[in-house]
Amino acid sequence: MIDNTVPKKYSIKNTPKETLEKWYELMTLGRAIDNKAPNYLKQAIGWSYHAPYAGHDGIQLAIGQVFEKNKDHIFPYYRDMLTAMSCGMTAEEVVLNGISRATDPSSGGRHMSNHLGKPEWNIHTGSSVTGNHALHAVGVARAIKYYGEKAVAISSQGESSVSEGYVYEAINGASNEKLPVIFVFQDNGYGISVPKKDQTANRKVANNFSGFKNLRIIHCNGKDVFDSMNAMTEAKRFATEENNPVIVQANCVRMQSHSNSDDHLLYRSEAERNYVQEYDPLAKFRRLLLRYNRFTEEELQAIETNAKTELKRVHKAAMAAPEPSPESIYDFVIPEPVGSEKYPKGLHNQEGEKKKLITALNDTLKAEFRYNPDTFIWGQDMANKDKGGIFNVSKGLQQEFGPDRVFNAPIAEDFIMGTANGMSRFNEKIRIVVEGAEFADYFWPAMEQYIESSHEYWRTNGKFTPNATIRLASGGYIGGGLYHSQNIEGALASIPGVRIVYPSFADDAAGLLRTSIRSRGLTMFMEPKALYQDPKAATVVPDDFEVPFGKARIRREGKDLTIVTYGNTTHMCIETANKIASETGLEIEVIDLRSLIPLDMETVINSVKKTSKALIVHEDKVFGGFGGEVASVIMEEAFEYLDGPVHRVGSTFTPVGFHKNLEKAILPQTDKIIEAAKNILNY
Amino acid sequence: MKKIALIYSFNSNKTRLAADKIAAEFSENEITKVNAETLTGKEFISFDNYILGVPTWFDGELPNYWDEFVPELEDLDLKGKTFAIFGLGDQVGYPENFVDGIGIMAGILEKCGGKIVGETSTEGYTFESSSAFRNGKFLGLVLDQENQARLTRSRIKNWVSELKQNFK
Repeated sequence: MIDNTVPKKYSIKNTPKETLEKWYELMTLGRAIDNKAPNYLKQAIGWSYHAPYAGHDGIQLAIGQVFEKNKDHIFPYYRDMLTAMSCGMTAEEVVLNGISRATDPSSGGRHMSNHLGKPEWNIHTGSSVTGNHALHAVGVARAIKYYGEKAVAISSQGESSVSEGYVYEAINGASNEKLPVIFVFQDNGYGISVPKKDQTANRKVANNFSGFKNLRIIHCNGKDVFDSMNAMTEAKRFATEENNPVIVQANCVRMQSHSNSDDHLLYRSEAERNYVQEYDPLAKFRRLLLRYNRFTEEELQAIETNAKTELKRVHKAAMAAPEPSPESIYDFVIPEPVGSEKYPKGLHNQEGEKKKLITALNDTLKAEFRYNPDTFIWGQDMANKDKGGIFNVSKGLQQEFGPDRVFNAPIAEDFIMGTANGMSRFNEKIRIVVEGAEFADYFWPAMEQYIESSHEYWRTNGKFTPNATIRLASGGYIGGGLYHSQNIEGALASIPGVRIVYPSFADDAAGLLRTSIRSRGLTMFMEPKALYQDPKAATVVPDDFEVPFGKARIRREGKDLTIVTYGNTTHMCIETANKIASETGLEIEVIDLRSLIPLDMETVINSVKKTSKALIVHEDKVFGGFGGEVASVIMEEAFEYLDGPVHRVGSTFTPVGFHKNLEKAILPQTDKIIEAAKNILNY
Repeated sequence: MKKIALIYSFNSNKTRLAADKIAAEFSENEITKVNAETLTGKEFISFDNYILGVPTWFDGELPNYWDEFVPELEDLDLKGKTFAIFGLGDQVGYPENFVDGIGIMAGILEKCGGKIVGETSTEGYTFESSSAFRNGKFLGLVLDQENQARLTRSRIKNWVSELKQNFK
């Protein structure tokens, strides 16, 4: 049984005066900034997004006071200005963020104002997607537990964010894995204008989780400094000593509109607006300090005067700070990957026994887990006795590396992806591999975290990158139909910040996987599942093979037509080239891209300059597919070398059907490629 | 019977009106009205019989004027003193924390040695949980002006008539 008593460590009577003084200073200065923020927008200086925290003062002070920088991890949300200050961020840093200066420690002006963070202290910069950092907190708590740290991860969020499905996934995961996470729900009764009665049936949303095992729920008055301090102190004790999660639901008031794009006059009565002012936490704290003779009126006025003076100084300093330069936009899109001294072009000449693609992947995973003890893998169906991955790609990993490094995840793709992001935050040595979903086209629920993870390196101005490889069994030709046969790389390729690779042969699969796991940053690793066991994808694989990103491989040389392809269709294109060569003597060059992002257009353009004709083939849909990008660049950079229009072959603009007749009609086949190639050759 | 301190916020609306109705059930010299907003421990301890007006705010909290008095209250020795509590709540809007204020206050007073009187039946109320609910009864008089205003007068009348027997 969990003891639900919250000890009253702090009260107005027994808290040391210097502590009360520090709190009042923080709260007074914080409120002064909160009140001044709208003026920056009125003067067109900045701070165009400001979510006032007034009314949340008690709980925000308390969150920051229990946080230990460089030890705990905190994930504030966009209303957490006082939280950030209570964690140690200075007033100047807050204003630098508000007016988006280059020296803003949160993002250097790249992220929206009022999204405060200082990643170097483990104050993680939050998303605008409400509450999605709950998954990151769970991920980093997994590392805290694995490495035996006595620390907590704190996810701070509004009560309405709990309506999001991923918050359920996060709390479920923390409960199941018994992780030291404190989820703080700052409950001001509204999600912008939506009252909490329209979010969920319980007025106290934390109680929705009362059936979760290992989870403690603490309610507190977030308007009251002492009640909040006692709740957060106990929550931290419980999380660190019991290694279990806690929800702290703090009842607050929102004294202003949701943000400066909202007007609460439109939906809150005058009476309500008045009584929330009466319940101002700062005013209450001040009254208590005087009532219980802890401070004199003069002492408090002196602190208030100092806050005004400090704010003036901070304003001046922040206004003089540099603005971000337009030239900096390409900095920190994606980290520099590891290179390869031995295989700079990702080629080898080794001879010997061939390995199937699935064996090459399995061997490489094992080799990398031996190479780096801080490598982890999880996903659905990852490990249960002889089952290792949906297609057994990770077979034997758990037996060799143990259940703490190789383990199953719940059927929750966003959780798989989000905790990968979160665990990466613990230290730079960690490398994570996830099976993002059972099949690539089940990945969509994880898109929220995929997008989030894609821009964190850029958003934090290079201070944080998730270091993860997302493996997905992709594509068709297995009679799988919807959710089992489709390609998603075309849809993903427009999102900057993630590398996308799609090998066709065993050696490239091994080499790219090694480079993905060893490199910083995020790599989407597409596996053509139809080729896992196919002898035609089997190759000799050097044990230490590496394939650098952005190096296409010419799989067949030719002078009459360039075919650019990747994945399953590489083999069809080689077959096409061989057939046409034997029939006509015309030689087709087949380029296997291997990496879509970064894209090796140099190899493509050089080939087109030689052949003057180009055909792009991929399994994904032609309409909106990746081939459109390749074709456009060929047009832009090699138009004068072309002797005919660039053509594309790919799937029809339909879903992939289940019946073999439908699948065959929809997915590209060798005969379709031959026909297209002949048309271009004859042009 | 010693004088009863009727303590409530003079600045409140519904609680003040209910307090007036309660006071009307006593003769003038039986009751001393005290403003909870300016209450001190010294003033509080000077009585032996009390009727406290304790509404519930937000999701089960004391109003500020009571909450800010609690640290002082917790230091008082209330042995031999008798307390009756009335409180306003909204059983439709806040069924999960219905009149929690009564229960919170009763708990503090009991911890200090005070005796709680004036329990009432829960019949006629619909709610999910309440800190004021103990052993099948409410720990005081429960008034719901939002949803059952027409019952207020009779509820007060019945409560006060029973209450008079508890005060010495």
